[in-house]
Amino acid sequence: MIWVWIALAPILGGLAYGGERVLRARMQRRQGPPILQPFYDMFKLLDKRTLIVHAPHALLALAHFFVLWFSIAAIFLGWNLLYIIFLHLFAQILLILAGYSVRSVYSHLGSNRELLMVVAYEPILILVAVGLYLVSGSFEIAEILTRDHYLLQLPLLFIALVMIVPIKVKKSPFDVGEAHQEIVGGVEIEYSGVFYEFLYMSRFLEYIFIYSFVYLFGGESHWIGAVLVAGVFLLVNLVDNATARVRASHMVKIIYSVAMSLAVLNLLGILL
Amino acid sequence: MKFFTPFRKKSPWVLHYNAGSCNGCDIEILAALGPKFDLERFGVINTGNPKQSDIFLVTGPVTYRSRERLVELYSQIPEPKVVVAVGSCTTTGGVFRGMYNVEDGIDRYIPVDVYVPGCASSPQLIIDALVKGLEILEAKSKAIEKPFKLFGAIEMIGNKLSRLGMATKVEQHEKN
Repeated sequence: MIWVWIALAPILGGLAYGGERVLRARMQRRQGPPILQPFYDMFKLLDKRTLIVHAPHALLALAHFFVLWFSIAAIFLGWNLLYIIFLHLFAQILLILAGYSVRSVYSHLGSNRELLMVVAYEPILILVAVGLYLVSGSFEIAEILTRDHYLLQLPLLFIALVMIVPIKVKKSPFDVGEAHQEIVGGVEIEYSGVFYEFLYMSRFLEYIFIYSFVYLFGGESHWIGAVLVAGVFLLVNLVDNATARVRASHMVKIIYSVAMSLAVLNLLGILL
Repeated sequence: MKFFTPFRKKSPWVLHYNAGSCNGCDIEILAALGPKFDLERFGVINTGNPKQSDIFLVTGPVTYRSRERLVELYSQIPEPKVVVAVGSCTTTGGVFRGMYNVEDGIDRYIPVDVYVPGCASSPQLIIDALVKGLEILEAKSKAIEKPFKLFGAIEMIGNKLSRLGMATKVEQHEKN
């Protein structure tokens, strides 16, 4: 049964992305695209001619997608949290390498910014894993989901996690890595056709990745987890519609000063 | 593949290029994308990236400096693709027709599928033109489409087509 969910993970993420586009349109008083729009986009991309810059560049996109899918599978199977975070980091590094492997300036800029994003959110993810470990006594997701009361003991850490969700799903104010108006998509600029489709699908998987971290704070109660995910989803989209993009350096400063100190304070409170 | 062809008209991604326009038509295009007319309900995204686009929206009479960019952007869009000429200047040259520094419309350089009249053309007309363009897009094959005038050359490297040198060379050439 769990393997079916793993196989369906990109489709679940696609539904989340389609729902999000409708939600954002409704927030702006628009009608918005149909909820299956991401799948229409994917089918259309299959019917386009593909322009390839060079083979490793195209293959790195594939590798990025499959490593990401593997880390999602590890989440669904309830493996070690640290292992999952580092698998995800590996996927990001493949994408950054792809960005650096072509001569396009925008692609290089996108890679620089992806690196800055990794620098910003990775410590918080690790601190979240440490916090969950301190409360539950285990890094295993299957173990973590058998305990309760994470939100009562780790409120500040949860706020820190919510602050990095916009970085991961590329939403304002922290969408520097994509930034369509400045660097035209950054890393994904040189991709087209089938290979762009893999990057498009890996965006769906990022949704599942980061929202499953939010879900972990619900503990054994599925209801609390679902409510947390829905609440954070609404909040992130509201903030996305209401704010402008900050600069990449400011993003790192904000995350390091606010989110990091919140997370460290909470951990110190538990340890002492 | 035959199965995927109907989905072409469900997610047209748009590339918008200003070939020396006065910004009137550009504002109308952005108005059509905005909340009131909401082109996104047809699945339209303004990508800004030729390699991921299906529909090429061009505004402006082609000025001398924007010619090679126009041809390069056109040649970088993967097939199937549709070109929509938005506004009087883009279709015929408009008030600039016959001037020394413009090229009287884009159809001297690239094949145009839909012409939109008006100075500036209204968002309703642009939406109609896009919907018309979608019908053409669905009927098109994936055969390679070339611009009428190349500033570079399309080369074959091995058995692969290279678009790298398509618009690199800029030469002095007489107006016709």
